[in-house]
Amino acid sequence: MLPQVQKVAGRPGGGGTGARLGGGMPVLSATDLCRRVEGRVLFEGLALAVEEGEALRIAGPSGCGKTSLLRLLGWLDRPDAGEVLLSGRTARDWGGPAFRARVAFVAQQPARLPGTPADTVAWLRGIHHARVEEDPVALAEGLGLPAARWDQPWTQLSGGEAQRVALALALCRRPEVLVLDEVTSALDPEAAAAVVQALRGRTVVLASHDARVAEALGAREVAL
Amino acid sequence: MTGPLPLDAWQLLLAAALVLVNGGLSLWLRLGLEKKLLVASLRTVVQLSLVGLVLTPVFDLAHPVPVLLVGLVMVVLAGREAVHRSSRRWPGVQRTAFLALLIGPGFTALLATGVVIGADPWWRPQYLVPLLGMLLGNALTGISLGLDRALSMLDEGRPVVEARLSMGATWWEASRPVAADALRAGMIPILNTMSVVGLVTLPGMMTGQILSGTDPALAARYQVMIMFLIAGATALGTATAVLVSVRAAFDGQGRLKWGWIGR
Repeated sequence: MLPQVQKVAGRPGGGGTGARLGGGMPVLSATDLCRRVEGRVLFEGLALAVEEGEALRIAGPSGCGKTSLLRLLGWLDRPDAGEVLLSGRTARDWGGPAFRARVAFVAQQPARLPGTPADTVAWLRGIHHARVEEDPVALAEGLGLPAARWDQPWTQLSGGEAQRVALALALCRRPEVLVLDEVTSALDPEAAAAVVQALRGRTVVLASHDARVAEALGAREVAL
Repeated sequence: MTGPLPLDAWQLLLAAALVLVNGGLSLWLRLGLEKKLLVASLRTVVQLSLVGLVLTPVFDLAHPVPVLLVGLVMVVLAGREAVHRSSRRWPGVQRTAFLALLIGPGFTALLATGVVIGADPWWRPQYLVPLLGMLLGNALTGISLGLDRALSMLDEGRPVVEARLSMGATWWEASRPVAADALRAGMIPILNTMSVVGLVTLPGMMTGQILSGTDPALAARYQVMIMFLIAGATALGTATAVLVSVRAAFDGQGRLKWGWIGR
């Protein structure tokens, strides 16, 4: 059986079908989005929009396609139909790297890159489209990660430490939108609270089983 | 200097008797290799005899077209073998291996006969065919190792590549470490060979030349040239195969494709 088609928010500029757009141009939006995986339709005709400084929580049971949707919003996968737009311009027009530099996707289980997180920062500074605008080490300290951990190999970091490093690497670029997939799943309540503090005022689309994180951010909730 | 001593059928049979020792060992230790050994031995006899039969008229015709045709067939067969040896493949890998072998060993062999050795004419089969064969044999090993490494890093290492992409990296910025590692893997065998050549191994070409009565010093100079040519051909071929394959793994938006790598 195919999952029910969801219209989770209004189409940008389309007058709204339950969207809370406030009349402004959404920073990130999606129209008529469809994703199929191995012949199974995860969602189709999906539209959503998030305004500057707003938090949007994608909710739904495991396997309903939350990660697939976030990956599409992060422009890591090709949608089967529909468009993802940043500031009204399609991701396609931005071009993959330029779009992804502005819309930072953080995976639930951060990849263990070669070398140390400090090496990753050095690499990031050489990336054409990316800008390191803030000190990632200081950002991570704010999330409860000691600075010394940046010189440990990625492979020696715990799940929670890797999540905080990955989040700091996203925050340090001051992206226009953060797309976060369960980024507090390996964190204790104290660290999760620090993450919430760091995300306040930022434009965020997140999936989180922990409803308290979304509540603390005042996130609007949409269900898949 | 004298030419090589004649080699009759009974002498080949005598050499083949040594393969029986392998068969005996396989039976004794229950290795189950007897059938493979028999097939491999028969293939050796048939393939090399056929090469001898084909090359004799090609040498006699003294025309570039049959020589280049033989070279093309060798490149195609080497391309198939390079792909066959790699545990992973992608839809265009066969064409890519062919292109890589044309650019690597193909170009290097022509450069060697036309410029380095200065054969007259440049397609002289006595030089071009064996040189191409040696370059192909080594380059296909490098290409298959390089392809295997690149494809496995893109497949199993997808989260790492995508982590780089999601930080704004282009396909090349995200996959440059993959390409570098794959190139390194492809070059290791020839670098290892170059380190020990002459100390623990006498390469086939040098051995063949010495057996044919060539002055060992001249045979050594030829072998030095061959080693350099092999290194160049392997690097060019492996780089072509790896770079084309890595680029093909990403779509026009710099996203790593799904379901693109098969086994």
